[in-house]
Amino acid sequence: MLNLNLKTTPFHERTSALCQPQNWRKWAGYFVVGSYEHVLDREYWAIRNSAALIDVSPLIKYVIQGKDAAALLHRVTTRDIHKMKVGQVAYTGWCDEEGKLIDDGTVSRLEERTFRLTAAEPNLRWLTMNAVGMDVSITEVTDDVAALSFQGPNTRKVLNKVTEKPVDELKYFRLMTNKINGADVTISRTGYTGDLGYEIWMDAKDALKVWDALMEAGSDYGITPVGILAMDMARVEAGLFMLEVDYTSTTHAWIESQKSSPFELGLDWTVALDKPGYFVGRRALEKEKREGSAWKMVGLAVDWVGMEKLFGKVGLPPQIPGSAIRASLPVMVGNVQVGYASTSTWSPLLKTYIALAHLQKPYYEVGTDVRMEITVEHHRQHAPAKVVKLPFYEPEWKKK
Amino acid sequence: MTTTQYDTIIIGAGHNGLVAAAYLAKQGKKVLVLERRSIVGGSVVTESFAEGPRRGEDDFSVDSINTGGTLRPDIIKDLKLASHGLSVDSAPQPFITLLADGSPLTLDAESIKRISEKDAARFPEFVRFMDKAAQIMDVTYATIMPRLPMNFGIREGYGLLEWGLELRLAGRKDMLNFIRALPMTAQELVEEYFESEIVKAAICAVAIHGSTMGPMGAGTGYTLIHNWMNRGGLAHKNVGKAGEITSALANAVKAFGGEIRTEAEVASILVENQIANGVVLANGEEISADRILSSADPKHTLLKLVGAQDLPPEFVWHTQSIKMRGSVAKMHLHTNRSHGIPEGTVVLAPSIKYLEKAYDATKYGEISEKPYLEVTTSGNVVSIHFQFAPYALRNSDWKVESGKVAELAIKTLEEYFPALHASRITHHIITPQDMESTYGLTEGDLNHGQLMLDQFLFMRPIPGWSNHKTPIDNLYLCGSGVHGGGGISGAAGRNVVRALK
Repeated sequence: MLNLNLKTTPFHERTSALCQPQNWRKWAGYFVVGSYEHVLDREYWAIRNSAALIDVSPLIKYVIQGKDAAALLHRVTTRDIHKMKVGQVAYTGWCDEEGKLIDDGTVSRLEERTFRLTAAEPNLRWLTMNAVGMDVSITEVTDDVAALSFQGPNTRKVLNKVTEKPVDELKYFRLMTNKINGADVTISRTGYTGDLGYEIWMDAKDALKVWDALMEAGSDYGITPVGILAMDMARVEAGLFMLEVDYTSTTHAWIESQKSSPFELGLDWTVALDKPGYFVGRRALEKEKREGSAWKMVGLAVDWVGMEKLFGKVGLPPQIPGSAIRASLPVMVGNVQVGYASTSTWSPLLKTYIALAHLQKPYYEVGTDVRMEITVEHHRQHAPAKVVKLPFYEPEWKKK
Repeated sequence: MTTTQYDTIIIGAGHNGLVAAAYLAKQGKKVLVLERRSIVGGSVVTESFAEGPRRGEDDFSVDSINTGGTLRPDIIKDLKLASHGLSVDSAPQPFITLLADGSPLTLDAESIKRISEKDAARFPEFVRFMDKAAQIMDVTYATIMPRLPMNFGIREGYGLLEWGLELRLAGRKDMLNFIRALPMTAQELVEEYFESEIVKAAICAVAIHGSTMGPMGAGTGYTLIHNWMNRGGLAHKNVGKAGEITSALANAVKAFGGEIRTEAEVASILVENQIANGVVLANGEEISADRILSSADPKHTLLKLVGAQDLPPEFVWHTQSIKMRGSVAKMHLHTNRSHGIPEGTVVLAPSIKYLEKAYDATKYGEISEKPYLEVTTSGNVVSIHFQFAPYALRNSDWKVESGKVAELAIKTLEEYFPALHASRITHHIITPQDMESTYGLTEGDLNHGQLMLDQFLFMRPIPGWSNHKTPIDNLYLCGSGVHGGGGISGAAGRNVVRALK
């Protein structure tokens, strides 16, 4: 019989024992912990102040191997894959022929002819369609490879206590093979929080061994299992967007205007128009680069004083959301809607109500004054906000 | 390695490639035609299969693949082909089917009377409708199809308008019947006119000729009209003169100042930033040009000469999905002339079910045990067109089967023409795999892609790319695989020149 139940991750034995509020979220067909506690504060602050241990096993993972592995990824993604060195990780989006995003993820060059690609959604058909005539194998390893995102300023110290080789020399967006508690792991200096952090990739059967070692070593450093809701707040502060929340994959879009190009999402730096040869969407991206983008994803910082005024009218102090809001909020200039915010959150660290917003030309320029919809005691109001540069928060230790 | 700058390089010296080359050369363009074989003609070629230097009366020379043929009259006129050695014979030729007792029956109103008075009475009306349908088809093939479902411009729209007008001028009834006939089965179409099985089956044979379909298959109404248009009726014309067509075209190309190089196989098309700018020959020589036209089939051109790596994924997927599926084998028998086979186009098609069963075998990757045969003679040579003999055999291979197929074809024919046995000297077989390896027809498909309703009009060669263009700038398709192609009309080679503007 067809099994329609969600799967559990290799860490489920540990995470389920710790998840007090039974706050589970589904992610790519798996159950993952939304939050381990009833409020997110402790988990959020672990990301920013100590060491957050986040189960990210549901990330879809492909191993791409063979003589033409680099050529395939060079063709599919917008990055210059041939320039990547072994041990390098590259964040990238990939587009359809019209230059609109299908998905985004990371490419890790594990060996000269072996890559790992992560994705938010299944991409096997697309990868296979692009591999015609190539000597390459594409294997999905989502179930076989468990992954932990270990994020926060203390993570390096904790890792050094348990890894066979120190991770001090591991640079931003590089990876290394290592051992934790006897288990072979790959550690990449990557993450989804914009903080110092690592992602640890291991065989699913070693998952608990690695979890236990980290939890034990991290106890003096404030290690905290963290769910994806707190991570969602941190990723907005880091200016990182999410598929199907902040943009729609071309594979799901019903109409053209739902699609987004990498330029529209601020991924200009990932589009290597100077790379040699064909890649999917090249023509359309070249054209957009020439002509400029109609939209752009920017940061919005909502003005606290402006919020106070609106709430003050009904006799309330400003109300702030307790977690990131994944709802579309209109953004106005005058009486005209010029865009929308796709994720908004209170930033406990910046003490600011912030949002990832998509604005039309020319309103996406930094410093533009706009107004964003907020709800004041059941009434829709527009609070003053300013377009700011992303990311909202970037600690000096992120890349150091 | 030498480099000479040409305006246009044309890949393949088949009839469509040569038509395109001649038109461009006539415009004063510097054109170079590159042909893999040592002779021009592609699949429109007359060759000698004699072993050793035998010439003259006893020569074993014959139309190798396509039997005879007639280019569109406007092409003959535009390119002054008469002055370049083309003798066109448009006189009607007999189309003969074989009755169960072995006696021949010519399909004309007079002869059919001995089978059925009713059918004989209906025959002129059938011919009238088919001629009309062929005329509409001819205009259809002269109209460059817009790139549906994309937006199309005014110029393409104008072509469609002309096409619509032609349909309308055909008269309400004929127009409707034309549109209605396309998706019909050949069986249904002929049953609307005739009662006798032998007449119906003979016409159905023309419908499935060269296609991997049976007469009970949807869309064989279309292929009947297509073949009728190309032949100018049921029977082949200019049998034995296929080579004359392409040699006259080659003469015209040269007379207009174009260049043709034989034994110059194109190994790949040079592409830089999705722009074609030259070709590489099998010997490594690079030749640059502003524009590349390929008269090779779309699969070969795009997947082999360009390569999937330089093409968008959806486009590659569509190109891979083009149905080729050749299932024709040709047998040429060298005889002493006393074979007893009448002149004209002779078909072995005793019943519609016989033809359908012959086709059934291809579904299972097998060779028809009781094949549909079409026989033509030119001088001392008897040619047998054998269907169905699929390119991809499920349980055998062509090394094993070619001899058996030749034997089966000859044995089957000898049952009707016993004199053939003593008359035979030697024979030459061309299997679907030979068609690919010798004549460059991918999967042995004579039409560079099956003539099916989903590979027709704006869906030929693939949806969205029906206007000769490709995702590679300056690379155009002009062979039988594009709209207008299939058969010896030259329409595809003529149309591409208009699409270049």
